Amino acid sequence: MKKYFAVFVVVSSLILSCGKGAETEDKSCCAGKDTAICETDKEITPAESIFNLKAQFKTQDDKTFTLEMLTGKTTVVGMVFTHCAYACPRLTADMVSIADSLNGEDVNFLLVSFDVERDTPERLKYFATKSGLKDNWTLLHGSEDAVRTLSVLLNVQYEKDADGNFSHSNIVSVLDKQGRLQFQKEGLGADHAQTINTIKKLVQQP
Amino acid sequence: MKYILTILSLIICTGFAAGQAKSDSDKKLLKIKKGSYKPFFKIGNNQPITVVAFYMDEYAVTNEEFLEFVKANPQWSRSKVNRLFADANYLVHWESDNVIGESQKAIYKSPVIYVSWFAAKAYCSWKNKRLPSIAEWEMAGKAAPKNKINMPLTEYILEWYRRPNPKVLPNVKSTYSNIHGLYDMHGLVWEWTFNFNSFLSKGDSRTGEEDEKKAFCAAASINVNDLEDYAAFLRFSYRGALKGNFCIANLGFRCAKDNGQ
Repeated sequence: MKKYFAVFVVVSSLILSCGKGAETEDKSCCAGKDTAICETDKEITPAESIFNLKAQFKTQDDKTFTLEMLTGKTTVVGMVFTHCAYACPRLTADMVSIADSLNGEDVNFLLVSFDVERDTPERLKYFATKSGLKDNWTLLHGSEDAVRTLSVLLNVQYEKDADGNFSHSNIVSVLDKQGRLQFQKEGLGADHAQTINTIKKLVQQP
Repeated sequence: MKYILTILSLIICTGFAAGQAKSDSDKKLLKIKKGSYKPFFKIGNNQPITVVAFYMDEYAVTNEEFLEFVKANPQWSRSKVNRLFADANYLVHWESDNVIGESQKAIYKSPVIYVSWFAAKAYCSWKNKRLPSIAEWEMAGKAAPKNKINMPLTEYILEWYRRPNPKVLPNVKSTYSNIHGLYDMHGLVWEWTFNFNSFLSKGDSRTGEEDEKKAFCAAASINVNDLEDYAAFLRFSYRGALKGNFCIANLGFRCAKDNGQ
């Protein structure tokens, strides 16, 4: 959780391939917010919750991470790989654009990498910095088993090509505060009005 | 009399227990040598994928074997399993949580069906094994039959696909075995693979939105590697339609293991 409080300055000269070079400001997750929201109340995970996947991941800060650590906030999830030349920066950009439309609502953004070999925590850190992702973004590296299992839960299809890159579906998923899958939108540069509305509604829910 | 009965039941139980232990260790893992596999759909530079040597169960996991797993892992019993990991059809053909059923004796040694991907994966992991990948499964599955089949394999497979599910699923080892010694790779049940969800029905990262057509439009079928292999096409379509918690009447699994473990 420490990383939520870690404040780092994001250099503004970073460019996302779609041209949405998000200039970001420092903001810890609790800044200007009710701290109670940041305190994760230990609730019982509902049966339909994706947080029932107990696999361990590593964050971009090389911290051990389990999905249930997302409990208590609405979460937006995308599955990507960072050596991806085309689609993944666009999916990330779509998510950044969603984040920008939320007027500072306290929401988790999660990117999980397919590329268990190359997307080490260090690499993910580099990607996060390069892409100007704020500190409510968590980037995850996991075992092949953990990543495949999450992809199955999120109905994301992917396959490693012979050249080491990945073909994959581009899906933005929205989880409620208990980790239940509430909304999905497929496609790059898709119209995310409904995604944003769903997030705003979920943020209001307990 | 009572005394004799006790002894008798002791003998039977011991025999039964020994039999179980035996059936466990008896299950052969067969080594599948390194080879290559050409994915049904052309991907990347379309080079065949090298599949390193691995081990594979000689035959599919049976109801009897799966029952042992459920008994040892109650969270995987029918009444306790999480719907996220297995839909309402999970083990629906069993009498109850820990009972396949007296009336179901005929299927004790049949492949277990109505099991989800999550359950199959958990079973293999419990056995210190794993699910085979699509490449591994397809490479092992394309090996030539060494008995019982007197027509080209593809023809045999399609003939099987055309038949409705049998009322009582036959035992494992009841169809052909192939040159690796693997039984029933085709002809009994479809099988889960670890990466079953890698079939890209849409949204390939490089070509954008056109990929759905790869599978279903004739114009794009030049992208497939072997136009003849309609059976492979059916398997890929089938896998593409699955979700991880689906439990289906003709879908079972077998486990695999890395070489050198």
